[in-house]
Amino acid sequence: MFKYIFRRTIYMVPILFGVTLLTFTLFHVVGGDPAVLAAGKHATPEQIELIRQSLGLNRPLYVQYFQFLHQIFTLDFGRSWSSRQNIWTMFTQGVGPSLSLTLPAFLIAEVLTISLALLLARWRDSLFDRVTKITCLAMLSLSSLVYILWGQYVLAYKWDIFPISGWDPSWAGRWEFLGLPIVIFVLLSLGSNILFFRTVFLDEIYHDYVRTARAKGLNESGILFKHVLRNAMIPIITRVVQEMPFLILGSLLLESFFGIPGIGGLVVLAIQNADFPVIKAMTFLSAVLYMIFQLISDVLYAVVDPKIQLR
Amino acid sequence: MKEISLSSPLPWQEKSSEQKGRSLWQDALHRLAKDKVAMVSFVVIVFYLILAALSKLGIIFSNFDLVNNEIAYQSPSWEHWLGTDLFGRDVLARAAHGTVTSLTVGFAGTGLSMVIGTVLGALAGYFGGKMDEAIVWFYTTIDTVPYILLVIAFSMVIGSGLNTICLVIGLTFWVNHCRVMRAEFMKHRDREYVQSAVSLGASHLRRIFIHILPNVSHLVLINFSLGVVTAIMSEVMLSYLGLGVEPGVPSWGMMISDAKLELSRQVWWGLAGATGFMFFLVLSLILFNDALRDALDPKLKNK
Amino acid sequence: MNFATFSLKLSVQFFIRKGKAMLITTLSLLLTLSMGCTRKNKDAENTLNIVATSNIKTLDPIEASDVYSSGAVAQVYEGLLHYHFLKRPLQLEPLLAAQMPKVSKDGLTHTFTLRQGIKFQDDSAFPEGKGRELTASDFIYSWKRLADPNNKSEGFWVFDNKILGLNEWREQVSKGKATYETPIEGLQAPDRYTLIIKLKKPFYQLHYVLTMSYTSVVAKEVVERYGKEFLNHPVGTGPFKFESWTRNNQLVLTRNKDWSLHTYPTEGEASDKAQNYLEDAGKKIPFVDKVVIQEIIEDQPRWLNFMKGNLDYTSIPKDNFDSAVQNGKTTKELNDKGIHLQINREPDVTYTAFNMNDPILGKNENLRKAMSLAYDTDTSIKKFYNGRAITAQSPIPPEVDAYDPNYKNPYKEYNLSKAKEFMVKAGYPEGKGLAPIEFSSPNSTTNRQTAEFFKQNMEKIGVKINIVTSSWPQFTTKITEKKAQLWGIAWLADYPDAENFLQLLYGPNGSPGPNGANYKNKEFDELYEQASHLLPGVERDKIYQKMRDIFTKELPWIPGVHRLSYSTYHNWLKNFKFHSVINDNLKYFRIDTKERGEMKAKL
Repeated sequence: MFKYIFRRTIYMVPILFGVTLLTFTLFHVVGGDPAVLAAGKHATPEQIELIRQSLGLNRPLYVQYFQFLHQIFTLDFGRSWSSRQNIWTMFTQGVGPSLSLTLPAFLIAEVLTISLALLLARWRDSLFDRVTKITCLAMLSLSSLVYILWGQYVLAYKWDIFPISGWDPSWAGRWEFLGLPIVIFVLLSLGSNILFFRTVFLDEIYHDYVRTARAKGLNESGILFKHVLRNAMIPIITRVVQEMPFLILGSLLLESFFGIPGIGGLVVLAIQNADFPVIKAMTFLSAVLYMIFQLISDVLYAVVDPKIQLR
Repeated sequence: MKEISLSSPLPWQEKSSEQKGRSLWQDALHRLAKDKVAMVSFVVIVFYLILAALSKLGIIFSNFDLVNNEIAYQSPSWEHWLGTDLFGRDVLARAAHGTVTSLTVGFAGTGLSMVIGTVLGALAGYFGGKMDEAIVWFYTTIDTVPYILLVIAFSMVIGSGLNTICLVIGLTFWVNHCRVMRAEFMKHRDREYVQSAVSLGASHLRRIFIHILPNVSHLVLINFSLGVVTAIMSEVMLSYLGLGVEPGVPSWGMMISDAKLELSRQVWWGLAGATGFMFFLVLSLILFNDALRDALDPKLKNK
Repeated sequence: MNFATFSLKLSVQFFIRKGKAMLITTLSLLLTLSMGCTRKNKDAENTLNIVATSNIKTLDPIEASDVYSSGAVAQVYEGLLHYHFLKRPLQLEPLLAAQMPKVSKDGLTHTFTLRQGIKFQDDSAFPEGKGRELTASDFIYSWKRLADPNNKSEGFWVFDNKILGLNEWREQVSKGKATYETPIEGLQAPDRYTLIIKLKKPFYQLHYVLTMSYTSVVAKEVVERYGKEFLNHPVGTGPFKFESWTRNNQLVLTRNKDWSLHTYPTEGEASDKAQNYLEDAGKKIPFVDKVVIQEIIEDQPRWLNFMKGNLDYTSIPKDNFDSAVQNGKTTKELNDKGIHLQINREPDVTYTAFNMNDPILGKNENLRKAMSLAYDTDTSIKKFYNGRAITAQSPIPPEVDAYDPNYKNPYKEYNLSKAKEFMVKAGYPEGKGLAPIEFSSPNSTTNRQTAEFFKQNMEKIGVKINIVTSSWPQFTTKITEKKAQLWGIAWLADYPDAENFLQLLYGPNGSPGPNGANYKNKEFDELYEQASHLLPGVERDKIYQKMRDIFTKELPWIPGVHRLSYSTYHNWLKNFKFHSVINDNLKYFRIDTKERGEMKAKL
């Protein structure tokens, strides 16, 4: 087991190397001269030159690349161009709020959609199935703005069920503000999730083991819950785990509308301010997280299905 | 979250398919023709294509850019079925013209990603060895970066505009397709028909593109129709982040992003127009994709 | 492992079996969670709740270049002078200075006497955590920080080329040849409470500059203690102390109990008494114990929070305007909620600048005039400002000297036939032979729409425009690098003086300076220098008006509009008098907490 994890971690090294190369190429080679941007408004050529020196932009590219690697190993991603805040601090402070929105919302959404998808699979091709499918697609096409604006206006402002927006840094206080964004998050994931899981279950239903089970006289619901669900665990875990890193990114729109001080808001701000170091750091960090979660998912496969050998 | 989900690999993309005879396409067409849903959605897609072509040529909805500030933000009426926008332009005409933008992004962007994915996947799967390792490493790297950030990073660096969006989508969305292609080519390269081509002295390129590719082309079509959906939705997201098409170019993404302000003044028709147009296109693309998959997937052949 | 497998499967199956029940339970759980959670009764607290509509970036005075950062800085930090809260037109008053400075006859030497006994707020950076007394050398340190090239402050322009020896010191520092210990001729502190500023040339606006956040005073110990994190640890002399800041969310300030610099003003404008602005005359300020500045970027949550009474005042979002104001008055809905409206003229100007180095636009005066004549300002005011703006005839806005409400710029009318005539004069009849012009714009929705409107207007005279949008920093960089051809931008006064606007066209201020158009006119520049020797008055106004006429003749910009600010506030907020140049205003505001409690229950 641990051997396997160790080996997988070793495999991660070349990928990690690739990610550093990718981000570096994107921001240092394609991205033009960042010194001018970093210098801000009304910078004189001398100031720009000074910044170029302090960013090490006059050195050969490979030296800059090693600087970048050094940054990564020391977790020192420098400071934001627009606010001069420490990027690592921004990241660590933002992860908590983002996760306290996305994690509960995600769990609720997954459980809810898996249940619904199973029901759809049970009554596949029925009217219920078709209507739900089209509803899901409609929900998918509807801009998330609509859910947010409507939720805020109707649920919070008119009906007073939730606060309109806000945040409380304390753990006890924040849930009050998270209610509405969580509801909207769940609504937003319904469409694509149900469609996805429905496909997963339908794929399983045509397998031989289902036919065997049916032949043995098991009823349809029993087959679904006992056999199909277990066999569908692999794609389910794959998807769940693959979406995990995105949870840390938070939700770009929800965070800015509800005033949740998470990573999503940071990214939106960084885009608006052309804040390259922030985007660079976020790109790299989320790639690392993605890899970690991939590893977790591989381990989980083995847990769920002992037939899979950890080699 | 919905922008993420579509890009996750779907189970059938990972699945192998059995060897298909020459009659695969005929079989599939036959099945498709019998599938009512597939036919309806196909008709809708064709309708959109015609709509886009006619709008582009200026035959219909040529008033999309006609500014009339006297009638700004008028609610739907007989004259303007979907009302007018900030500049008094007809929302219906603009939504129709948005089809051109969306289909351009969808087809050009996805087309590019299909080309990249197919070529790289073919090379990796066919040649194997070092080539395979390098390509797998490359796409795993790309795949590791959350695609939203990748798209954002690309657009920030390259700039915004319709061409950039197509390019960005092309450069970032090829990974899943590449993976599928690689697996297929791996299977096919040792098949009899390829071996007999070898004995006839066919070159590598000939074997890849003339012999194997037609046998896996159905997967290109399946992934393409799904990719178009993702591309169309990405355009909406990029517009919201200010990385969309040039101002003045009609686009659903811009119309939806403008709705953020318009809804405060009870102007809902811009959003409704864009969403409606997008819904039917996305719906028929997904349904058609479903049907296509059913028709081409031999596993379901005998159901 | 086995246990994990088991529990995972169990939980999943449980959820699935109970799918429907779970759905209901979760939803109701969420509902009760949010409703039942007793919303802490914060309304009874004496807290001022206000909003920042874009992010507060920093709390370091020399970095605070945007409205909300400098607004926050101004509550914690103070400078030598400030504006009288009530009097209009704005009037300077001493703040940390004991009285207005003595100015030598040649206008070059300004001698300030500091008030004695002013203390920095308590902080662990000071010995025993007790704030020490403010001295004149603190100002010299703070201003050296502003000039220090390593700090890359955007605010250095306020002293650039003005104080004797400061630019030289800056140069030396960048070469590593000078330190903070190196004396500067123009900044001297002969004793603890005396500060002498010597200028290179007369600069009347110096006193205005000394009200700005950039020039407020910081303590060396604190700066050195926190280093790069100083921007998160503000310690000033001001009426409010820093309590906490959750970035992208809210900044909390509390009343500085040791602060007693001055009291609520006892006199104001003639109309102030009738409007109850003098009810608190002579009382101890600040009135509120706490200030919470919420950072709410999106319009809808901001407006809804205000309507619910969670914010004490805010400006009206552009697209909520129709539902809030009709015929210049608040709608019935707002009246019933006890919401008032305050309209202020903003000392600002929006404009479309031509790159005067551009081979086509820069050399063709008639083309610029044609474009100006083709721009339909009235419609743009209706469309983008809900009628809340007046047409700008020149760069000089209302609320400053030398503004002439009767002045009409002959090229500022909307006159297509005249515009077409000028196109002929320009050598491009009907736009023939003219290559498309690139219009740069930031990529926010409103900016994009304004750009589109400009494009539509120009099409009427055959001028083709290509709009290129980018993020704000990429946009300003393009201007600085002289790569933009034509762009739309606005300028809000740093201080109420026409000079602040005319400097945008002063030749030596060209890129990377504020003169992004790189307009150069010898006569204009000479007049500008001449005016800087003069105190405000008829003579100076005449010079400014001459400069305005030169501007009109050559038209390096299409002047756009001067905006009006529409603020709405609740009845429980007292002493709310707003001016965008005054930023130390929070200490004057008072909350009737009882009234707020009663009203909020009804909202």
